[in-house]
Parts: sequence; structure tokens; C-alpha cells
Amino acid sequence: MNNDAILQSFRDAFPDLDLEITSLPVDEHVIALPADRVHAAVAILVEQFGIYHLSTITGQDRDENLELFYHFWQGHGLTLRTSLPYDAPVIPTVTDLIPGATFYEREVCEMLDVTFEGHANLEPLFLPDNWEGGAPLRKDFVVPPVEGGLDVDKEAAA
Amino acid sequence: MTKVTIPIGPQHPLLKEPLSFLVTVEGERVVDSKMRLGYVHRGIERLCQQRTYVQNVHLMERVCGICSHVHTTTYCQGVEALLGLEVPERGLYLRTLLCELERIHSHLLWLGVLAKNMGFDTIFMYAWRYREIALDIMESLSGGRVSHAVNIIGGVRIDMDAAQVEAVLGQLDELDTHITTLLGVIEHEKTFRVRTQNVGLLSPEQVRRYCVVGPVARASDVDVDLRRDAPYSIYDRLDFKVITHADGDVWARTVVRLLECVESTKLCRQILASLPDGPTSTRAPRKVPAGEVVSRSEAPRGEVIYYIRSNGKDKPARVKVRTPTLPSLLALYDQLRDVNVADISVVLSGVDLCIACADR
Repeated sequence: MNNDAILQSFRDAFPDLDLEITSLPVDEHVIALPADRVHAAVAILVEQFGIYHLSTITGQDRDENLELFYHFWQGHGLTLRTSLPYDAPVIPTVTDLIPGATFYEREVCEMLDVTFEGHANLEPLFLPDNWEGGAPLRKDFVVPPVEGGLDVDKEAAA
Repeated sequence: MTKVTIPIGPQHPLLKEPLSFLVTVEGERVVDSKMRLGYVHRGIERLCQQRTYVQNVHLMERVCGICSHVHTTTYCQGVEALLGLEVPERGLYLRTLLCELERIHSHLLWLGVLAKNMGFDTIFMYAWRYREIALDIMESLSGGRVSHAVNIIGGVRIDMDAAQVEAVLGQLDELDTHITTLLGVIEHEKTFRVRTQNVGLLSPEQVRRYCVVGPVARASDVDVDLRRDAPYSIYDRLDFKVITHADGDVWARTVVRLLECVESTKLCRQILASLPDGPTSTRAPRKVPAGEVVSRSEAPRGEVIYYIRSNGKDKPARVKVRTPTLPSLLALYDQLRDVNVADISVVLSGVDLCIACADR
């Protein structure tokens, strides 16, 4: 995996953006992109560089926005980082380029309420069919009390 | 011909853990399948954010009931990288020793489950009996057969003396003999070959399409192993072969896994022969400086990846866990298409499913 060549290709493809590559431990490189460019960037990785292995997609709530990480791997780690608005976040799916992303996108969809445009099936994968509690990994989610169970939030606060 | 839909799971004798499959058959052929996960979803990622880094080690041990050690290893590696902590050599060696013993135990357990599901109870009983040796070693080192609680942030909590090293070496010899016997059986036993050859085929292209990892990928001739390709811990100092096979069926996966067990016993011997002196752990601060880390390692089933973000407190802001079963499950749709009803059990067992891992 040649990070400089990848960065150069991204710069050529998106001349209006000021792209930088940063490093994370352990051997992971990160390029931040706007959400509407992620699909094109993944297409470059797959078609020009033959990087097919998407390890997973991490989604997280950063209070004022949501952040997605696309963790790729080929000899070294490469992560594409993007952020989405808190309300009604939508991003194009990458399953047309990497079918392996199917479950990862479904998981992010149910856990953080992110819509992946063009995904064939965004039904819940892990949560129950009758789930009505909202997106569990959003910070405003309240863990519903279990009768006779431990109140984890209260216990953690104590 | 009329199509019939058969439910397999969430509770089914074929499955050791709850998973729901709806298989549509036309006569004896499977034409379609649907899958539903989440019956053992415990919300571990959310729970992590409410626990301290130290408490989370014990939580991560419970992501998986088979490869518990590799999860704490990946997690501790990540937190240690965030802390910039230098783990003592002896700690790393012992940690890696447990990783390899766990690989042997996991692969033998899988062989037993596969044999049981195809009705070959003799292999099942022998494989699980031999697996006991690996469990005995781990129990003698850590006190636990499956949940070892060996890792702590900054090293391991166990140590070995010379007598233990000697005893483990003897047990490894015993394991080697038995694994060779099992290899001989699966290579020459006709019934085993008939049930597994050309069943559950995955081409290298399909492996790449679905981002499949671990022994399933290697049995389809995709040469990938994080221990060699992105060496963590002490793997860059150890000498081992990455086993691949060109066939891509369940039989190839069996051969790959058993040969990997042989490699693992070699690795254990190398580790024991070069075990350095010194402390096994170092003291770690409770608060972790703000930062992010991506930690990967090779579990018995393939690549495990953890993303950890710290905001400078004693609890992580986000921990993401991806286990190798999830991509394997996705590849099952293709493997199940057009197989005979009687082969469903072999196909499902062939990829080594760990549902608790996938659900988290």
C-alpha cells in the first residue's frame, strides 16, 4: 500500500479539497474526506490500487456530528474518515464496490441511524424486530431499565 | 417444483449458538437463504463506554467464549499503544503463548463440531479429547480453561517456572502426535472426504468480494495472515509458515486448520525456548491520554479489529469491535446456494461460526 500515491490520486480526483494524511497508532493512516466524496474515493482504492479489504466501518457520535471511519487494510491500515450531520444523516452506500460492506453498513444504520443510500436491505441485523428505543450508540439514547436487572448508568455514575 | 422454506434456528440442534436461517428449498436443492443475527447481542460496545479501561478487559474477555484471550490481547494492545506503554518482553512472550494455545484449542473444537454435524462422532470425540490437552495447559498456566483472564493493561498477570515449562513441552509433544493422527484420518478416511470435498466452495474472488479473513480465506488460496503481514507482539521474531490451500472447500479448511495447529505447537516451543527473564507486567496509569488507535490481530478465525478512542478520562469514549465471523456469515449466502439439503450442516459448520462474537 503506497500512501503517497493514494493521496496523490485523491488530490487529482478532488482538486478543490485540501487533503492531508495523518497517522494513528498502530500503523494506521487516516485521510479525512467530505461525505459526498467517500464513494468516489473508495472507487479509486478498489479500481486503481486493488485494495479490496474493508475491515469494518466504525460509526460514532461526536456530539455535534456523527463520524464514520472506513477501515481498509492491505499490508498497512488506511482509514477514510468522514462526518455527517446529526439530523437525518445520509451517505451513499459502497456495497456496489465492496459487497463485504453489506453487514457493516446495516450495523451502522441501526446503531446510529445513518441511512446508506442505495443499500439493498437496511433492516435491523442485531436489534430485535420490535425495537423502538432509537439508535443505541447515539449519546441521547437512554438505556431502558430491565425489571430486576442492574441499572448500568446509575451504577457507573455511583 | 414447489418451494418450501425451512427455518434453521434460532434454536436448532445443528447450531451451538442462536442464529436464524430461513432456507428455501426446491426438492433437495437450496435456492435461497435469509439470515438474522442478534439473538446474543449484549450491547458490549455501549457497555464499554460506561466502564473503566481496567473493567473493560474483563468485558472484552466475554465478547467470545472460545477465543477470549485474543480479544483482550487486541484491546490491551490498543490501550497500551494509546498510553505509550512498553510491555515487558516476558509479558509479551507469555501473552503470545496463550494466543497460540488458544488457536489449537479453537481449531480442534471446530473440527469436533464439524465432525459431529456430519455424523462422524468418532472424530468428534477424539478431537475434543485432544483439545483437552490444550485446555489443561491453559488451565495450569492461568487457572481458567476458556476464560483465562491473563491479560492486563501493561502485560500479563501470570508467570511460569522451569518445571511448568518442562511440563508444557511434554504436553505439546503429546498434542503434536495426536494432531498428526487426526490429519492422517481426514486425509485417508473416504467418508470424511466425500462429505467435505467440493462442499461450501468459495473462490478467491468471492473471498475478496466479501472481505473474508482467516483460515476460510487461506483455504481459498488467499495468502493473508496478520501475524506475518502486520506483525504485532513478538511475531516478527518467530518463525512459522502461513498455511494455504487451493481447493476452497470444507475439506481444504479442515486441512488448513489442522496444519495451523501444527504450526502453533512449533510457535509455542519457540516461545518457551526463548522465554526472556524479567517482569511480566508494568504498572499502567488509570487515565488514558486523549487519542485514537486501531488495533488488529489474528484470532483463530482471522482478523480482529478494535478501534478505541480516548478523551483523556478513565473510560473510553468509543470502542468498536469487529470479529472475523461477520464477513464469514456474509459469504454463507453464496455457499448455501444450490447445495443439497444434507450438506447445509457441513456448509454452516465449515466456516467456523461464532455467533456471540459476531453479535457482541
